[in-house]
Amino acid sequence: MTTALGLGVASASSPWAASAAAATEDDLAFANFGASTEFLVKDFYSRALEARVVSGVRASALKRGKACAAQHAKALSDLLVGAGDVAPLEEDFEFAWPAKTFKTEREAVSTGAGVLRALLGAYQTAAATVTEPSHRILYASLTASVGQQLAELAALQGARAVEPFPVATDLETASDALESYLG
Amino acid sequence: MRKRLTLVVLALVALASSASVTAAGSQSASLTVYAAASLTDVFRAFDPAPKYSFAGSNTLETQIRNGAPADLFASAAPLNTQRLYKQELVQKPVTFTSNRLALIIPTSNPAGITSIYDLKRKPVKLVVAGAAVPVGAYTRTVLRKMGMSSVLSKVVSQETDVRAVTSKVALGQADAGFVYVTDARAVADRVKVVRIPAWAQPRVRYEIAVVSSSTRKAAAHAWIKALLSVRGQTALKEYGFLPLPAG
Repeated sequence: MTTALGLGVASASSPWAASAAAATEDDLAFANFGASTEFLVKDFYSRALEARVVSGVRASALKRGKACAAQHAKALSDLLVGAGDVAPLEEDFEFAWPAKTFKTEREAVSTGAGVLRALLGAYQTAAATVTEPSHRILYASLTASVGQQLAELAALQGARAVEPFPVATDLETASDALESYLG
Repeated sequence: MRKRLTLVVLALVALASSASVTAAGSQSASLTVYAAASLTDVFRAFDPAPKYSFAGSNTLETQIRNGAPADLFASAAPLNTQRLYKQELVQKPVTFTSNRLALIIPTSNPAGITSIYDLKRKPVKLVVAGAAVPVGAYTRTVLRKMGMSSVLSKVVSQETDVRAVTSKVALGQADAGFVYVTDARAVADRVKVVRIPAWAQPRVRYEIAVVSSSTRKAAAHAWIKALLSVRGQTALKEYGFLPLPAG
């Protein structure tokens, strides 16, 4: 069972969309927040790449992060559509970044990591609380992927981002942390 | 000689321009515009000449379906204009602006609300518009997106348009209400605004269409053109409406 669900998450299709009808309104709130924030994360990576805050081989970490964010947003949007909801679109937002964010590698990494930490906290809670098992697997995968991205960003600064127990947060806390970026 | 000629041309251009403004004004004076209640202040400021009827878009839609003598219909949601368009009761609708939702509370804030999540935590008297009214439908979308539809059990009154919701909160007859940010601005001295997270915002789109039975279609089309012009869009922006959505 676990293997089958795991394979489903890794595949290109969205198996969680098929079970979307079973999602409760609380479950879908995580999907709405997650899809919107993944667009924000994608925008972060795009701007960091455009500003060339890192170059050469090291920029591939940003490209990987951008690709992950796009896939995450698609997965969560599929879930929402499967549940009969309207999924958010990138153009629904006017992302706002602090003026110095993309001036230096240090600033970019610090800001990006802050966004990813808030998202990670919400995904952890979602993985523990959503009702549909296949959706729990989805959020566990998203949690792992965002954790990996945090480690990659930290590595760019020669730092380590290994924490024994990253803090899980409720949706309200995560939303408040990111409100200024989402416009 | 050349200088004198230039001056004459400039004077003629100015005269022609002023004449066209006057013509547009006299044309719009004969128009009857049915518009969403949230457009009351901005439309009157943009052009005081037409005869206006402001109400909930669903009410106006019904009136037009029943043969009300409107030339133009400006709705706060595409649903109302598109339904009439499908029945050929209006011509093809045009999107002309957008908006956002806000939670408003009286300045005295008797319920101690500082976050939208307080609606879930605290005993509050909430006022919303009915589900068929665009702002009422948008309110329910926000609450569903946030996993907070249960707060609808705290609704003490369902209103027929956004102005009625705004008024109830401004008068302190409710602890909180969902309105457009543009309506909140109109009573800024009597209410405080509690932000709704961007990720929970509905896609609010305003559409306008010429009513098929109108006998003043040319003037109605000219009015839409003026609304879409820089002058019209500037007026909307001044009242807090958002620019035309991309695409």
